[in-house]
Amino acid sequence: MTKKLTTGNHAIAQAAINAGCDGYFGYPITPQSEIGEFMSKKMQELERAYVCAESEIAAINMVLGACSTGAKAMTSSSSCAVALMQESLSYIAADELPVVLVSVMRAGPGLGYIYPSQGDYNQATIGGGNGDYKIIVLAPSTVQECIDLTYKSFYLAQKYRNPTILLADGLLAQMMEPVEFNEYPYPEIPIEDWALTGAKNRASRAIYSLEPKEDRLVERINTLFNKYKQIEENEVEFEEYQTDNADLIVTCFGSIARNVKSAINQCREKGLKVGMLRPITLYPFPTKKYQELAKTTKKFLTIEMNMGQMVRDVRLAVNGQVPVEFFGKSVGQWLSVEDIIAEIERFNG
Amino acid sequence: MTEKNVVIAGFGGQGILLAGEVLANALMLDEKNVTWYPCYGAEMRGGTVNCEIVTSEDEVSSVNKQDADFIIALNQISFDKFLPKLKAGGWVIANSSLVKEIKSRIDINYLFAPITALANELGEIRISNIISLGLLAKISKLTSVEALHNALDNVLPEHRKNLLALNLKALEMGFNFSLAPVAAC
Repeated sequence: MTKKLTTGNHAIAQAAINAGCDGYFGYPITPQSEIGEFMSKKMQELERAYVCAESEIAAINMVLGACSTGAKAMTSSSSCAVALMQESLSYIAADELPVVLVSVMRAGPGLGYIYPSQGDYNQATIGGGNGDYKIIVLAPSTVQECIDLTYKSFYLAQKYRNPTILLADGLLAQMMEPVEFNEYPYPEIPIEDWALTGAKNRASRAIYSLEPKEDRLVERINTLFNKYKQIEENEVEFEEYQTDNADLIVTCFGSIARNVKSAINQCREKGLKVGMLRPITLYPFPTKKYQELAKTTKKFLTIEMNMGQMVRDVRLAVNGQVPVEFFGKSVGQWLSVEDIIAEIERFNG
Repeated sequence: MTEKNVVIAGFGGQGILLAGEVLANALMLDEKNVTWYPCYGAEMRGGTVNCEIVTSEDEVSSVNKQDADFIIALNQISFDKFLPKLKAGGWVIANSSLVKEIKSRIDINYLFAPITALANELGEIRISNIISLGLLAKISKLTSVEALHNALDNVLPEHRKNLLALNLKALEMGFNFSLAPVAAC
């Protein structure tokens, strides 16, 4: 297959189209505006729905509406604007709708600025909506993974009828790399038994989250959590690199993994026994994998482009079996390979 | 390590990002790993803009490095800003139509070429970015004029394909620019 030089933003947008996205609803914000720009042209050419919404709150609720009819629908946004969508994400989780949200992280808190950052790990994995709910979160590390994981986002959203976030960052969104646009590889999931497709020749149905009866609300939440258990059992994905005999395992997510891998290669050449574990699904988190590696390695070092967010999940997983340290920078200059090597040597020493 | 990086910098409107995209496409056609990373934000015509291209036989280690093997500076501000970033033994290609020929470092190689004036010779001031790629191909040997030409075919939209012949002339003009007065350090 011929390769094409593509930005992360365009890779995500084209992959969404290939995945059969019926409707895009969004509001521009750097560093992901090119997704909406691309969609504004291509979706109309394909006679699919494109709406430039009046706000992010409107956009996510349009996606909620579209998905409740069984359409494949998505929005994309960034940090401070994803913050505005939190209320709706809780409703979407409660309504069990297959919403895809592409969240391209910029620097916060507050309005922050457009520099790349990984400061929204907590926002994506924990979230700011009310109640007990979970969102599937996938974190690409390369432009090729922007394609592959956009496909997977649509598939998992449909398979589990659960909101799914593709969590990228400004660096990945803006950079270009040669990629291959393979076809959407997943089966189509039927929507006839739940979607609001018109009640002709069947009983009417409704999608709602209000549940005044206590026992039925308990049952609904239990149903949700049985589903989350299945997701946790079946959908964990991670990349393991040079972890054999590693005394130190560096763990990271997203685009910084490129720098970490290079640092590990150079440390291995120096004779240091170092490896990498990169969660690809941030929820479900590869807890069991960490526990397994904690039996053989001596330490973990979590590296993030934030002040320490995923490190809490790593510590919960490792549960005190071995030390877990953190190295990161908030925003601005990306952590260099040299910085990472120095930290590995310091921590390993 | 086989990894090399190039920073291309100049005014917004000089085709900096496009030149980077053409170079990255050429390296892709050469079957090398490559990344292209732009400065992004509130850039505008007349302001400064830059992009970084990293190429490697292996996976690219980092898309935004602290130093550079090659720098193309199409204006004075970019020359001043990026010269300290150049590795010892690296090359700076500077547009001497807009950049003063001052050699403040003795551990690097300078190629001063009147790129804007050369573009005017071709009757198209906007093609200075492509001339600079010809110069880069000559001194860096990272890629070839042929690959750059094929890359332009990839990058140019259909309604601009009529400009391919002019672009090829620009690449050759850069590639054939006399390096006689340029002594490597």
